[in-house]
Amino acid sequence: MISTTYTRTGAVVLLLGMTWSAMTLLEHKLDIANLAMLLVLASALSSLWLAAWASMLVSAGSMLAFNWFFVPPKFTFTVDIYQNALLLLALLMVNWIIAGLVIRQRHLAQAARTLADQEARLRQWGDTLRDASDPAAHAAALRIALQEATGTSVAVSVLRSLDKSNETSALLLGETTHEQRSGLSLCEREGNAMGPGSGRYEQLDDVYLPLRGRRVTLGAALITGLGAHANGLQLKPHLQALCDQMGSALQRSLVTEQEQQAREQAQQQAVRNALLAAISHDYRTPLATIMGAASSLQEQGERMDADQRRRLAAGIVEESERLARLTDNTLQLARLDALAVTLRCDWESTEELVGAVLRRIRRRPDGGRVSVWVEPNLPFLWCDALLVSQLLDNLLDNGLKYCPEDTPVELHAKSDNAFLLLTVSDRGPGIAASWQEKVFEVFQRGEPVRSHHYSDLDRGAGVGLAVCRAIARAHHGELLLRASGEGGCLFECRLPFAGLDSTPLTAQVPEAQK
Amino acid sequence: MSRCILLVEDDRVLRSALFEALSVEGYKLKTAASLADARAQLLHAPPGEAIDLIVLDLGLPDGEGQSLLSEVRRTSNMPVIVISARHDEGEKIQLLDQGADDYLVKPFGIGELLARLRVALRHRGHAAEPALLLYQHGLLQVHLKTRRVQLAEVEVHLTPTEYALLARLVRQAGQVVTHRQLLLDVWGAEHTDQTHYLRLYMGQLRAKLEADSTDPQHLLTEPGVGYRVAESDADV
Repeated sequence: MISTTYTRTGAVVLLLGMTWSAMTLLEHKLDIANLAMLLVLASALSSLWLAAWASMLVSAGSMLAFNWFFVPPKFTFTVDIYQNALLLLALLMVNWIIAGLVIRQRHLAQAARTLADQEARLRQWGDTLRDASDPAAHAAALRIALQEATGTSVAVSVLRSLDKSNETSALLLGETTHEQRSGLSLCEREGNAMGPGSGRYEQLDDVYLPLRGRRVTLGAALITGLGAHANGLQLKPHLQALCDQMGSALQRSLVTEQEQQAREQAQQQAVRNALLAAISHDYRTPLATIMGAASSLQEQGERMDADQRRRLAAGIVEESERLARLTDNTLQLARLDALAVTLRCDWESTEELVGAVLRRIRRRPDGGRVSVWVEPNLPFLWCDALLVSQLLDNLLDNGLKYCPEDTPVELHAKSDNAFLLLTVSDRGPGIAASWQEKVFEVFQRGEPVRSHHYSDLDRGAGVGLAVCRAIARAHHGELLLRASGEGGCLFECRLPFAGLDSTPLTAQVPEAQK
Repeated sequence: MSRCILLVEDDRVLRSALFEALSVEGYKLKTAASLADARAQLLHAPPGEAIDLIVLDLGLPDGEGQSLLSEVRRTSNMPVIVISARHDEGEKIQLLDQGADDYLVKPFGIGELLARLRVALRHRGHAAEPALLLYQHGLLQVHLKTRRVQLAEVEVHLTPTEYALLARLVRQAGQVVTHRQLLLDVWGAEHTDQTHYLRLYMGQLRAKLEADSTDPQHLLTEPGVGYRVAESDADV
């Protein structure tokens, strides 16, 4: 500001100096009225740069100096010819009128520029907010915009939740005193502007503007020292407009967010309800067997022979194992559904994983139907050993459960470039093409008695396969169901040997130390 | 003389089921439903009825079973078998490293529990039992004194590291040994994170000692936890 004032004064002094030099040079070539015209021109030009009072002073001074130096008798203020007196007077009047007009024009232009600036700022602000997914992040931008508009320091407080009781959700930008903070929160609560020009708390130095949405205030802005600001009060409506735009945008985004949360919650609730209903249904079947067999042993045991008792007991054990598997799967599914699953990965040997699963399966009465082939010298697999074992166990269990009792279930493991390819195939009735994706959905049940064996889908196959797919995907792999060449199902699981987070393998393994 | 087992389990039904099952096998049983109860029984066991082994449930009404495990380990090497309802590999490893002899995850069959009891009692129970000199399981024989390994009476040549690993497992035959423990005992303290050494050497051992390395009979894997060699044949 100061430097521009100096520049302008300098320009005026230079202009006047040049004019006076020209007038001195031309004094004997032009008559006095023409010289006066030069002076009028210079005064009119200087009014482009000077304030009104300075402009008036400059033209009055110029007239006096002109009278002193040029108007005969020279070096006096007396005017000898009547005509010259009229000339001087007219000169002064014309100067003043021109100066007045020029300055008025200047003000109008300035006002138009300010308006255009404000309008541009509002428009730009509107665009910024419209594109913003999180207007709270734009509190900083609002602060900068307000600072640019006023040239004073600004603090902005923004609510991040529609729930006003949730004080901790407020976001405060800018430095504030304790008093100013309480001013901001009062303004936020009441939704009215405070400070000079607002009709409320006029004695304050600072202006508080609410960020208003529809019937709600979602924050407040503090503009320090706006009361003392030259045209602060004219700026206020513009500032309020900026603030209100922010308020509406905040409201829009918060409402959208709330809506989405409610929708997600409802969806989760629905999934959870379906899951719970399905789980309790799937638990009932084995429980019924166990209850039946156990109560029969309890009440009729004495009348049964040893074989009958053994068969009942075997049924209890078998169904208990099924319950245990169902529990493990349900638990794992819940775990894998969680947003941040941490796998306990390590370099594992496929041969070992397959061996451990096979050992468990072989303990079952029908476990002998499983045959296994593992490609020799497979690379190590970066995986969570327990999860991959569970995946294999479920796939084999699935094959054994849904296929005729004398048919084999085959597990093959081989490498396919950077992937381990695990396939489990059976010679059962297969699954209709339309169901090939659905079997992986949680607790999906087959169409009623569409095929004899898959009526067993009704017994909770869904959770097992859903867990398998979740496990494959948690390892950045995939599990698909294909039609087997020999009829029946072919589950194909593809797992990358090395994970994104796998530790490098040391090439050399040292000899034992002991 | 029959062995005396302290059964620490707060669930009444499971406690009585295990009580019945273990009594039938000829064990003498004492039961406790809480940590405090278990501590009292351990302290005040009448002479001649000393407790030989603890079967310890983890979640007890007055605290975690782990605390009892560490208390017991401070003063004795009495076998402790942990039973837990939680399916957490990290916890199992921690328990084994803390000195538990073995663990079982609920639900488990009684056969499994009996096998673990037998192994635990054999390894720790009575000092009179001589140190294991010969391990035999099926066709596999390991002579610990002469460091010879035979498969169906035919000598198998093992590298020193392979033998060290096998011998370490055999010394605790029937019990799971954690990856960490194996690496510590075979390769040394600075290699305890290098589980792939184990994968490599176990693979080599299986190739030499198992008829079908994908269906091992001797060298068993406990995914995520460690390895176990099958319990030595009873007559050895």
